[in-house]
Amino acid sequence: MSGELYRDTGVVLRTYKLRESDRIVVFHTAENGKVRAVAKGVRKTKSKFGARLEPMSHVRLLLYRGRELDIVSQAEAVEPLSPMLSSLDRASQGLAAIEAVDQLSLEREPNPQLYRMLVGVLRTIATTPSTLNVAAFYWKLLANEGMRPELDRCVRCGETEPETPLVAFDLNEGGVLCRSCRSGQAISPGALEVMREILGGRLVTALAREESPTTHEVASLATRALEFHIERRLKAVAMFETH
Amino acid sequence: MAGNYTAPVQVLIDELGRLPGIGPKSAQRIAFHLLKVPTEDATRLAFAITDAKARVRFCERCFNVSEGALCPICNDDARDTSKVCVVEESRDIVAIEKTGEFRGRYHVLLGAMSPLEGIGPEQLKIRELIARIEPEGIEEIILCTNPNTEGEVTAMYLARLLKPIGLTVTRIASGLPVGGDLEYADELTLGRALEGRRTVD
Ligand SMILES: [Zn+2]
Ligand SMILES: [Zn+2]
Repeated sequence: MSGELYRDTGVVLRTYKLRESDRIVVFHTAENGKVRAVAKGVRKTKSKFGARLEPMSHVRLLLYRGRELDIVSQAEAVEPLSPMLSSLDRASQGLAAIEAVDQLSLEREPNPQLYRMLVGVLRTIATTPSTLNVAAFYWKLLANEGMRPELDRCVRCGETEPETPLVAFDLNEGGVLCRSCRSGQAISPGALEVMREILGGRLVTALAREESPTTHEVASLATRALEFHIERRLKAVAMFETH
Repeated sequence: MAGNYTAPVQVLIDELGRLPGIGPKSAQRIAFHLLKVPTEDATRLAFAITDAKARVRFCERCFNVSEGALCPICNDDARDTSKVCVVEESRDIVAIEKTGEFRGRYHVLLGAMSPLEGIGPEQLKIRELIARIEPEGIEEIILCTNPNTEGEVTAMYLARLLKPIGLTVTRIASGLPVGGDLEYADELTLGRALEGRRTVD
């Protein structure tokens, strides 16, 4: 299949410097899953690729299939990158989103749902600022991976609210627990409510929430849950959490 | 891969493989090239590396490469000390100096923020930049990081940090094409970008 030309659409997840002025660009594409390709001359100011191969860029691609790495022949912007770079919050949320996708995307394994989710979250970040953009995306990624957390009944004894308050969340168990079964970490009723909104079709309500200790709780739990699933630390989200 | 070659060759391949932009394949190719060239050539390269490492260090003030404690720019009394241009690497200073548009001093961050690689503000010379503001009477800081994602994130982070201090913070104009590296910009474009710099809001 080497040397064959093909078209796809993708989002740039990572770039690595290669030689003098080239880069290796890693995409998550609509049809081919994760694709690694060489972009020649991309670091030169007059490169034909311009800003289209920067992390978070959403591009229509023409690629040469190579043995190890493909080669980017053409790249055309589907959406402009500039809104993502118009504020530190947008940029840091966008980077946190693509880092997670980079961890879940597999080479040459089509995952169109992941592609749609990524394009969707980048659009939301660009247009609708919310302190929960990344957390909601992480919870939805986990649900898409088949790791949707149990939020409505104790994962050990099966009791439900309102008779039995659910007070803890255990990553190992993948859900909430009642007072007598509790393990993992405490979870507030407010945070539980926000998570039910995110995963229960009321995303807009969740995203409209003002930044608060509750949204912080949901965000940090989302990061921990995704890190638990991928078995490694997420770097981008940690960097901007600390200040 | 490890253990395929005799120890000295493998050590050479491993060391070369740690250089930026050199993958395992290139490291192997360069290593075998070096083993083929005349001894004098290999020795000259080894000497150039150790000599540069021994004689060149970072300027104590701005982290430009320097032979002495201070670089020639910091030692130049004719430079305007109220303006500081912040760049990612020393080679960006060379590019900006060529434009002849800037007569202030510099500050080299020794990199850019790269959240995806876990390179944050602590790993860059940002604390050192803040420490220069008062003693040097800096009034304007021009953010000349690369016009790409990492450079923009670094510039936005610095702007957020510096604005409350109450000095003028400017960013080189968007005339520079996004995605390229500063070092590849031609003098005219870079000069115009400096001249057209705008206050960050
Ligand atoms: Zn229980
Ligand atoms: Zn200096």
